[in-house]
Amino acid sequence: MIRFILERVAQLIIIVFVVSTLTFVLMRLAPGDPATILLTAHNVPASEEALTALRKELGLSEPLHIQYVNWLRDVFTGHWGTSYVSKESVLTELWNRLPATVELASAGFVVMTVLTLGMGLAASVKSSGWLDRLGRLFALLGSSIPSFWLGFLLIYLFSVCLGWLPSMGREDWTHLVLPALTLGAGLGAVQARVLRAQMLELGDRNFVKAAKARGFSRTHILFFEIFKHAILPIITLLGTNLSFMLAGNVIVETIFSWPGLGKYFIDAITQRDYPVIQGYVIFAAFLIVGVQCLVDVVQAAVDPRLRLH
Amino acid sequence: MISNRKKPSWFVGTGVLLLLAVMALAGCSTTNKTVESSGKGENASTQQAKTDKKLVMAYTWKPSGVDPHGDNSWDVMRSGAGETLIRLNEKLEPVAWLAKEWKQDSPTVWTFSLRDKVTFHDGKSMDAEKVKASLLRSIEKSHLAKDLLDVKSIDVAGPLALKITTNQPNAALVSNLADPSTIVLDVASMKDEQSYPAMTGAFKIKAFNKDQSLVVERYDGYWGEKARLAEATMKFITDGNSSLLALQSGEVDVATDIPVDNAEVLKKNDKLQVLSAPSLRTHMIVYNMESPVFKDAVNRKVVDSLIPRASIVSAIMRGYGTEASSPFPSILPFGKVERKALDGTAEQLLTKDGWQKDAQGTWTKQGKPFEVTLLTFPQRPELSVMAEVIQSQLLKEGIQVKIRKVENIDDALTKNDWDFAMYSMLTAHTGEPQYFMDMFYSSKSEANVSRYSSKPLENLLGSLKLAKDTAQRNAVTLQALDIINTDLPQSFIVHPDNVFGAKKGVKGFTPHPIEYYYITAQSDIAE
Repeated sequence: MIRFILERVAQLIIIVFVVSTLTFVLMRLAPGDPATILLTAHNVPASEEALTALRKELGLSEPLHIQYVNWLRDVFTGHWGTSYVSKESVLTELWNRLPATVELASAGFVVMTVLTLGMGLAASVKSSGWLDRLGRLFALLGSSIPSFWLGFLLIYLFSVCLGWLPSMGREDWTHLVLPALTLGAGLGAVQARVLRAQMLELGDRNFVKAAKARGFSRTHILFFEIFKHAILPIITLLGTNLSFMLAGNVIVETIFSWPGLGKYFIDAITQRDYPVIQGYVIFAAFLIVGVQCLVDVVQAAVDPRLRLH
Repeated sequence: MISNRKKPSWFVGTGVLLLLAVMALAGCSTTNKTVESSGKGENASTQQAKTDKKLVMAYTWKPSGVDPHGDNSWDVMRSGAGETLIRLNEKLEPVAWLAKEWKQDSPTVWTFSLRDKVTFHDGKSMDAEKVKASLLRSIEKSHLAKDLLDVKSIDVAGPLALKITTNQPNAALVSNLADPSTIVLDVASMKDEQSYPAMTGAFKIKAFNKDQSLVVERYDGYWGEKARLAEATMKFITDGNSSLLALQSGEVDVATDIPVDNAEVLKKNDKLQVLSAPSLRTHMIVYNMESPVFKDAVNRKVVDSLIPRASIVSAIMRGYGTEASSPFPSILPFGKVERKALDGTAEQLLTKDGWQKDAQGTWTKQGKPFEVTLLTFPQRPELSVMAEVIQSQLLKEGIQVKIRKVENIDDALTKNDWDFAMYSMLTAHTGEPQYFMDMFYSSKSEANVSRYSSKPLENLLGSLKLAKDTAQRNAVTLQALDIINTDLPQSFIVHPDNVFGAKKGVKGFTPHPIEYYYITAQSDIAE
């Protein structure tokens, strides 16, 4: 098991190295001079003297390879640079916004998990019933409605029309409801179909028939025979989607003005805040690969056969 | 194991969906009542609201801090916390604010008398020494302030008198002192990281929540008329649609920078009002003076004459704008100019210039068609629509336009593979033409995106710096605009309005051509 974990950590470092190099190259290839953008943020033309001074201050006057070496050294020594906009450490800026993202991702994850388990189990128990059909409809909607559209629909219904819930910001728990629903509902509905299919498939296996023959109760067979095996692919899906929620809920955070990493990333792109964009991509790579490692470890713990591969 | 018994019909599922739909519709039909009662817990706090009124504003930008001498000076100014020596009135004339009066001692020396009995938010009195320290800090921290003031030295000439010496004659100094980058603060307050900057406005900063909001509260020691609101909150909502929905749901009282399409939606809501004012922004076309086609002034003039400005104002801007005939809107005394009429028809001019129409109706010269590339960019969506309208209009006249959308227009303009481009600029951000003209038309300036060079114009820009009074400055600017409108390095299309949405009870929130003053002592909200 220790070797298994070490292998995953080594993979994580390699991936982060590749991601950081790619990010640096792509950022420098992207159009836009940060010095000009910073000075013209209010649409006031910038003087040449001011531009030259700012480029020097930002280290953009150095040759590209020097910028790259400095960048790589800094990434692996924990110096992720200073935001061009706020003039604060990128790592601190990202770290400060992480709690908001974790809060939203956790709430979204709860919504997703409850829907997955609730709808998946219900649909498998009552397959071909109205619950199953409703689940199919939700899964279809969940996979076809983009999250930004769902977000606006929920805001329109629950904030504008009904006035029940706030439409934006992060103040108390009520502010969490709509973004969490937007984030978790679609994914949960889709995963519920996967769980249902798994449950139905396993329901015909010999070990289930054997359990029935031994006289185990219907509930025991459902949870301790079928569900126990059906949950394995769901753990992978939950893990993948948790990484997505942590690192990729850019749209949901923007719609709901949620002050997390995703919204910060979008603002950084608009402002060409290179250190922040680069820092976020590496941070996100860490999160995604880290969560995937965790999922692998959990799966290996649940199913010892996986450790052999 | 898994049940396969006969299930209830589709009716049940459909019924659930219908129920949800009915609930939603029922909710929408009672919108007004719900929003009213859920707004801010009115029943419980009606009495308190009479003395403790609060306003919430959806604000499109997201300041990274509250230091008025950094990149966030506009945001601090708009919160009502910061003040400058000079203020611009609705006619964009410089009027007294923290400076009571001023005089020009020589072309480079100015003396400002400061207002008495002004205190900073930390309770300390404002004097010449503190204002000097503040101005020096703003010059050190802000490239813009440094460029605008062009200061050689600042001397204290008395407890409330300040002498400013500029490096070269800078007749725009007084107006430039209205720029938010020169907000006056107690520099000592910046040393304490636990407190907010101490400025002199009718409101003082109560809380700054990064990425979320800036909250200001009434400053009881204010030297002028006390603020009518006890508190105002600027919520940072960068997404336009989210901002509009927050206004419709009653979560915010005012929303800034409403896209003109959304203004129509707000107009239909009887609880909301749309407020607008002419802005100092100009949507324009910039020509690449090094383009093989547009280096010829005749071609620029023909294209300029074919731009359907009236229909752009009515159809694209929905009436929220005015036709442009110079970089400066006509609300400015030096913006009242007329476009030069074409000397003949477009057809006559092109024919005289050696162009002829081919069988397809396209103008050609020496075998090459009149084909040009027009750049546009996504950040101001109305410009892309305008580009399409212009493309269609020019095509009708036999001019082929290829539209290319670029992600970053400023970067694209530094390259040479374009002929003309949509552009937008705040042209007189201190009510003065000098800074914009120097940056946009000087052959030495990087911001001269058209790469336009005119010796007579540059001579006039030099004279503008030396002009003694407003009348002379306006006269020189009008002469400069005459050259610009003759050479046409740009075609000015429309001056868009600033559009805000607000609840009907909001008062004293008047859109202003200069976009510095949002929350003021006069801002109020009905009980």
